[in-house]
Amino acid sequence: MYTRKNQSSLSRAERRRFVDAVLKIKRSGEYDEFVRTHIDYYVSDGEHRLRVAHMTPSFLPWHRRFLLDFERALRRVDQGVTVPYWDWTKDRTPASSLWGEDLMGGTGRRGDRRVTTGPFARGNGWVVKEGVTDGDFLTRALGRPGDPLKLPTRQDVAWATAETVYDVSPWDSTSSRGFRNRLEGWTSGVGSERWRNHNRVHRWVGGHMLGGASVNDPVFWLHHAFVDLLWTRWQRLRPDSAPYLPARPPELGDSQFERIVARRQPMPPWRTTPQDMLSHKGIYKYAE
Amino acid sequence: MEEIAAVPSARTVPRLTRRHLIAAAATAVLGAVGAFRGLRGSDEADEEGQPGAPGGPSLDFDETYRGRRIQGEPVTGDGAHGPEGWRVSVDGQPLGLMRRADGSYLSMVDHYQSYATPLAAARGAVDELGTHQTLSGRLH
Repeated sequence: MYTRKNQSSLSRAERRRFVDAVLKIKRSGEYDEFVRTHIDYYVSDGEHRLRVAHMTPSFLPWHRRFLLDFERALRRVDQGVTVPYWDWTKDRTPASSLWGEDLMGGTGRRGDRRVTTGPFARGNGWVVKEGVTDGDFLTRALGRPGDPLKLPTRQDVAWATAETVYDVSPWDSTSSRGFRNRLEGWTSGVGSERWRNHNRVHRWVGGHMLGGASVNDPVFWLHHAFVDLLWTRWQRLRPDSAPYLPARPPELGDSQFERIVARRQPMPPWRTTPQDMLSHKGIYKYAE
Repeated sequence: MEEIAAVPSARTVPRLTRRHLIAAAATAVLGAVGAFRGLRGSDEADEEGQPGAPGGPSLDFDETYRGRRIQGEPVTGDGAHGPEGWRVSVDGQPLGLMRRADGSYLSMVDHYQSYATPLAAARGAVDELGTHQTLSGRLH
């Protein structure tokens, strides 16, 4: 049993050990396998095939398993390291210590958005190998300076956790109700109001975090650790709600037949099911 | 299709004719099911947030946008995600597009902003690429 901490509470030594472990698995090539997995499993809900990672009920358990694999890789390097979480309802500006030179480094420069400070700057040795653009450097545009938008707020989170049902048909990005889609953050809104919660944070960071290769930015893990914590909080708040839906696979004739994962079906690339990921008790806990 | 048999040398084929040939080829494949009508229709549906109706007009395109050449045409079979796939490129490099359940399109450059048409998604990708980046050629 280990503890995931708020990044703002890490000591200088804890920050250094986390960063060092990330750099070690980057050098071994393991990090880029995580980048590839995330790219490969980004299936949109207009495609007629199985989607397990996004726009789907298993968005939360799939990413919980993904984080566990990443954390195991880090802990093989340094047994004392865990994935910190970024509470973006509180640490809301590029001036936050999150973006300091000893943790994530800062925003990208104007023009090409290249990150030039911190351990994940190209000049300090962080080379992007699995990208959809030709640049081999990490990019960011924190807060989208050209057309500023704000990080999601506590009210945005409350809008999601107010939902008493985990997810609803059609189990995709158009589900108008349900905790999962509201936390993932798809809406029918327009302008910058269209992005909520999880999606809005990807938009706010910008650069690599916008695309399928978002894992190239290590802040991906801190962001998803907080999303994971919000799922845990929702379960705590809703002990009488089914912790995952759908319970059974959609049947032949249903538009979602063989396109989503029910509670006891495996989530590729693993044999892990959402049921297996409903609780992290005994594995890790969050310091809140 | 007599005009296809009478193709002059490539150098002298005006772009419009070449595009008509592509359109004709696409129509030959797709026309039977009526999936793509009016390949050279107008450009009015390119505002984001207003997904086109499935089976509505699909527009192939070839234009220069902010200094980048963006091209797109409907495809089926391999490389097509879903029944109405598109082959889109920016400066000749493939741009992966994904369809959302509401009928809109996402590009691999930005998974969070959806657009009504492949053309709008390609322009959005160019906006996001800025002046310094080019696509790597990798799809997704």
